[in-house]
Amino acid sequence: MGRPSYPLAVLIFSRSWPQRIALGWLSVVLLTAALAPVLPLPYLPNVPDLSQVSQPPFSIGKHWLGTDSQGLDILSQLVFGARTAVALTLPATVMAALLGAIAGGAAGFWLNQSRLAAPYWLLLVACVWWALSLPWPWLVLVGAAAASGCLLAIAKWRQRPLPAWRLPLDSIVMAIATTLDTIPRLILVVAIAAGTSVAIQGMLLLLALTSWPQPARLVRAQMLRVRVLPFVEAARATGFSPGRVWLWHALPHAVQPLRAAFPLSMAGLLGLESTLSFLGIGLPPNVASWGRLLAGIRHDQSAWWIAFFPCLCLITSILSLYILSRHQSSQP
Amino acid sequence: MLLTFGCSKRKHSSDATIRIRWAHDPETLDPLSLHNQAALDAYNLLNISLLQADASTQTLAPALAEALPSVQFLNDSITAIGYRIRSVAAWDSGQPVLASDVDFTLKLMLCPGLPNEVAQSQYHFIRALQVAANDPRRFSFLCRGRSIEYAHTTGDFFILPEAELDPHGSLRHFDLADFQYRRAEIATDSGIQTVVRHYLAAITSQATRQLPGCGAYQLVKWEKDRYITFHRKSHWWADQVRPTPFVLQARPQQLTYAIIPDAATATLALQRGEIDLYPRVPAHEFSRLRASSTAAKTLRFYTSDSHDVATAGFNTRHPILADAQTRRALSQCFDAAGLLRATQLGQGQPTVGLISPNDHLNYNDSIAPLPFVPKSAAALLRQAGWRPSRMGEVMGWTRTPVRGPRQELRLALRYRAGDELFATVALQFQAAAASIDVPVQLLPTESGAFSQALQTGDFDVYLRTLGGNPFMFNFIPILHTAGIGAGNASGYSTPASDQLIEAIAAADSKIRRAQLLRRFQAMMQDQSPMAPLFFLPNRVAASRNLTGIHVNSLKPGYSVMTLAWDSAPQVP
Repeated sequence: MGRPSYPLAVLIFSRSWPQRIALGWLSVVLLTAALAPVLPLPYLPNVPDLSQVSQPPFSIGKHWLGTDSQGLDILSQLVFGARTAVALTLPATVMAALLGAIAGGAAGFWLNQSRLAAPYWLLLVACVWWALSLPWPWLVLVGAAAASGCLLAIAKWRQRPLPAWRLPLDSIVMAIATTLDTIPRLILVVAIAAGTSVAIQGMLLLLALTSWPQPARLVRAQMLRVRVLPFVEAARATGFSPGRVWLWHALPHAVQPLRAAFPLSMAGLLGLESTLSFLGIGLPPNVASWGRLLAGIRHDQSAWWIAFFPCLCLITSILSLYILSRHQSSQP
Repeated sequence: MLLTFGCSKRKHSSDATIRIRWAHDPETLDPLSLHNQAALDAYNLLNISLLQADASTQTLAPALAEALPSVQFLNDSITAIGYRIRSVAAWDSGQPVLASDVDFTLKLMLCPGLPNEVAQSQYHFIRALQVAANDPRRFSFLCRGRSIEYAHTTGDFFILPEAELDPHGSLRHFDLADFQYRRAEIATDSGIQTVVRHYLAAITSQATRQLPGCGAYQLVKWEKDRYITFHRKSHWWADQVRPTPFVLQARPQQLTYAIIPDAATATLALQRGEIDLYPRVPAHEFSRLRASSTAAKTLRFYTSDSHDVATAGFNTRHPILADAQTRRALSQCFDAAGLLRATQLGQGQPTVGLISPNDHLNYNDSIAPLPFVPKSAAALLRQAGWRPSRMGEVMGWTRTPVRGPRQELRLALRYRAGDELFATVALQFQAAAASIDVPVQLLPTESGAFSQALQTGDFDVYLRTLGGNPFMFNFIPILHTAGIGAGNASGYSTPASDQLIEAIAAADSKIRRAQLLRRFQAMMQDQSPMAPLFFLPNRVAASRNLTGIHVNSLKPGYSVMTLAWDSAPQVP
């Protein structure tokens, strides 16, 4: 069932010109992001040049793309802004896709029919207790683990199955996804990020945790189709455990729609990160970002270059991701 | 036709409302604890003090008082400052403003259980209030020692109505000395507790009925973080005073302060006629507006000096910043001259301390502003016992005191979010500190949370504007032991500085005070609990039709009470 791997030349030359340009631009962004610290930039992104404030591009000095109203170099802001964009949106998209694939895949595979034995219920309740920071969380967790161990030992000694109850996994996953979907993502992220001072890692986690419902829905829908296909039934009939059938046989096929959705998700997160930075929320003020650079136009509206360059980068990147996504979705 | 009307610029409203921009909300209208300039401006409309600043002459003039106070030295240790309240002065209820109200207010400023720490530190020198037997409006403050500032300081607080806040006269059972020396004992008195409860209930309510005042305006509506509207009282007692002195004028019928945190949005609102007056315009916005021919048709621009100084302060309570050498080293990482050039376009004045360079008598011109020399800062850090060493994954500075754990020099810098001036200062400081391996974490903080953080000491370095005036040099609230926990955010105090600050407050001649102030500036530069960067200029942009602005160096930089429209307002 595996796909043939394409050589790089085929990857590039089998595409249309817009796709090649999009791929080229995204490669430039990726390379710039990776090499930003070693690029021979005349100025660092967070060191204001107080003698050259709001300088237009190609004026006296080495500020090739000009400076903003704080004297920060636009070029180095763009370069390090690309690094922030990649460092934040790429892992966040991967994490959201992984989370979505696991949650949506499990929900679609087991639906509401799986049964969970008593010890696992105990552990689940203890985990929820801990997550909600209810009183004595560690004590409850340790107690639940000990009780679960005892129950399992008793069951083994008496050679009798433990009592088990139905776990409405599909309903739980879809309820959480629907709850997250009902609140506009920007408002949700702003509400969390504005109240707390989050670092770049916190921001990454926040973006991932609020973005998984869409991939989860896609994978679940695909899993509902895959779980009844003959090769999955055959794997079950062979006697493989449900977990193994899910992981090795059903899931690889159920995640196929994510190939097309991945660039779209990334474009969405790039837009969200820029919006947050524009609003001055989330990232620390010394982390360069295209959105934050764009926000500088508010302080000096005559300095067109402050808005032009980051806008250009954002629009080109988001368009490129859309073009790539269209190509992926047209692939068999 | 509709499109034409819809797109036409809106002129100022058809009523006599004057709309002014504020960058943030007043947060509270508690006269004992006015946290920011907006709160002070708002409360100035609701209530007045014995003396008020006269923007036309830049002096203090009698407002609630009939005349400037008389000063009488009773003996070497007591000065009597005598006032008489105007006969026509009355509260909203119609009751006259009397000396008993002043006595009540003084006691309230020292009353346990109220947020009055700043007032306590400022008015501790008043020993008693003596009311004339034959005239309930005439009284004298009996002050400890002699000071030329007593005549100004005693007239500079808002008088509150006793009848409204303490109808049973509970505080009358106590002397002023009881509030100064027996605070813990009297705190349990049920009468005092009732007054405290009553007062706190009045100030925490944001309803239109606030604490009753004797000012010209009443609060009509307060939408937090949106706007606050005041309406002029139809029958204000000062209307009977003829000729009406400058400080008792109240020309606008209605004043609306629009809270617009973002400077660019405020500029747009001014250009669209949605606000009429924009004080403290940032340098770049002001310069751009001035150069615009469109803006020149509808707006006027004014500038003056100000007594506002952009300042960086160090939290001296933290062990890493407890010694003067470390603070002095870090002070040298601020490029004050460069920042003045970049953020104020060269306007404003560099300074050595908190006294304005325009005050030639008191400004210490024999010392130079701290230079911007990060390399010399590194040498100073070595002298302070810091050694370059590894802090986790990065290089930094550490030291191990004789007693106590190893210290790492890393700083958290707090400033008000959205303030471009301090955002630039913060970035510049961070970059300079990074060049000598001192890591700085920037923490832009929302306005209310920022005030809270300063009070609780949740910072290493802060950036803010400190406002002053040319009349009084009382540094007790901001740099004295008595101000710790209230206005003294840096927590700085030493016996020598306390003594000097007290001596300044008690100086009995201008010459003596000038000598002390010069010593004080040298001491503060040496100790560096704060690094004054530069004095800011005052820039005001206002609608062309607005008159009586009287732009001046006193806060808020213009005279709100004399504002008026010079012609019939235009309507769309």
